[in-house]
Amino acid sequence: MSFARGSLLSSSIFRKQLVALTGLVMVGFILGHMAGNLLIFLGPNIFNDYADKLASLGELLWIIRTGLVISILMHIYFTAKLTRENSKARRTRYEVYTPSADNKFARMTMIYSGILLFCFLILHLTDFTLAEKEGAASVLGAQKLRLFGLVWNSFLNPWRDLVYILAVCSVGLHLSHGIQSFIQTIGFNHPRYTPWILKASVILGIIVAVGFSSIPVYVMVRQHTIGY
Amino acid sequence: MAKTISVTLKVWRQKDAHAPGRLVTYQMNNIDIDMSFLEMLDIVNQGLELKGEDPIAFDHDCREGICGSCGSVVNGHAHGPEAETTLCQLHMRRFKNGDVIVIEPWRAEAFPVIKDLVVDRSAFDRIIAAGGFISVRTGSAPEAHSVPVPKENADLAMDAAQCIGCGACVAACPNASAMLFVSAKVSQFALLPQGQPERRSRVLKMVTQMDNEGFGNCSNHYECEAACPKGISVSNIARMNRDYLCAGLTSA
Ligand code: HEM
Ligand code: FES
Repeated sequence: MSFARGSLLSSSIFRKQLVALTGLVMVGFILGHMAGNLLIFLGPNIFNDYADKLASLGELLWIIRTGLVISILMHIYFTAKLTRENSKARRTRYEVYTPSADNKFARMTMIYSGILLFCFLILHLTDFTLAEKEGAASVLGAQKLRLFGLVWNSFLNPWRDLVYILAVCSVGLHLSHGIQSFIQTIGFNHPRYTPWILKASVILGIIVAVGFSSIPVYVMVRQHTIGY
Repeated sequence: MAKTISVTLKVWRQKDAHAPGRLVTYQMNNIDIDMSFLEMLDIVNQGLELKGEDPIAFDHDCREGICGSCGSVVNGHAHGPEAETTLCQLHMRRFKNGDVIVIEPWRAEAFPVIKDLVVDRSAFDRIIAAGGFISVRTGSAPEAHSVPVPKENADLAMDAAQCIGCGACVAACPNASAMLFVSAKVSQFALLPQGQPERRSRVLKMVTQMDNEGFGNCSNHYECEAACPKGISVSNIARMNRDYLCAGLTSA
């Protein structure tokens, strides 16, 4: 698809602002999702109640889901376009190139951390969201624990833990650059706050990676001893 | 006696815009460390000319860091490893005996190589021509006090106006984006009362021209700020981002 020259949607800045806005929607979702997931530490009843509450939102849940799907599709569409244009803007590479600004690894790998977390997203949805929550996979110690049991059982598999931890680390990496980038892209930069925003972005990225990872680690440590 | 060093240069040599280029190695001995980088290149060229070879073409004019003509990527740093310093103001004492120094032209599709280290930066001129000016009636200068300017804005505008248009921001950006240059030129007017009447149309026109020239998009890597010999801040890019958003959404 191409947009008329000089129109907003063909402009480098406006498209970046759409990437930033859709990114922000997903950041909101990720933080909410993490807070919900961490309820697993409070035991099967609270965790399952939370899942039921979400499911009982009905139409509202579908509105949120639609918003998220639109956001992710727009985000991918425009970042793919931006990344392609950026590599076309310098066809001859430098023999020696020495980046010197901060957070180099995260900045240079945005498209890869993005692709990685997208592959994971699909896996994650089929694993948990679309899975049957009453079946054999939810049975833990002869008890049907529904979503709690499903999550617990799946994290008993160390390979799945590894993939999950890698994936949430790539989310954290993406956000360590993404959050401050969002703020700059929409046009906020202030000598007093920006240095803190740069730090906060990295810290939030770490919090997201550690927060999500804590669940499989906890399951691996507890194994079959859930003392509720 | 002055201290001297020996260095190995690997310089990008390219006959013209269409010929393929390559790095050519030159061994330079007895380089006085108080020489500037460009003076060192002059010595290389003198040697080449005496041998009847084609000297290395590189841009330069003032050699005092104010005109914006010079600039090459030295060991992966635009304008070399010294912060806030143009290539002409870089001195050989920044290097050690035995160093290998790789010298390449600015790399961007929007800045095609003309010869060796010289690139065509007229894309910047076209961006300025698209809106980087104030349309006013000419005449004698008005009384300075008739247009009050807050001190803070005057300072920020002067900071933005320090941009010498050398293109190091484009050269250093992983995406070859020109956002630092354009945002400095947009900001110096956006911060002053004289720039207000055309504030919206200016940012729209200059960004459109920037996009048409084939520069990359800004991904907020901030390599531009790190490379800029004048220390232009990326806060100018944020200002342009918000000006663009407002102007884009409010103009038909
Ligand atoms: C689904 C696959 C994804 C891909 C392929 C992807 C790719 C990218 C790329 C390449 C950029 C840099 C764009 C640029 O600056 O030129 C970016 C920025 C960003 N992404 Fe993603 N991303 C994905 C998912 C996500 C998710 C799930 C989130 C949120 C949790 C997110 C949040 C952000 C944010 C906040 C930015 C910064 C926006 C800005 O530059 O101002 N992304 N993404
Ligand atoms: S030659 Fe004028 S700035 Fe370097």
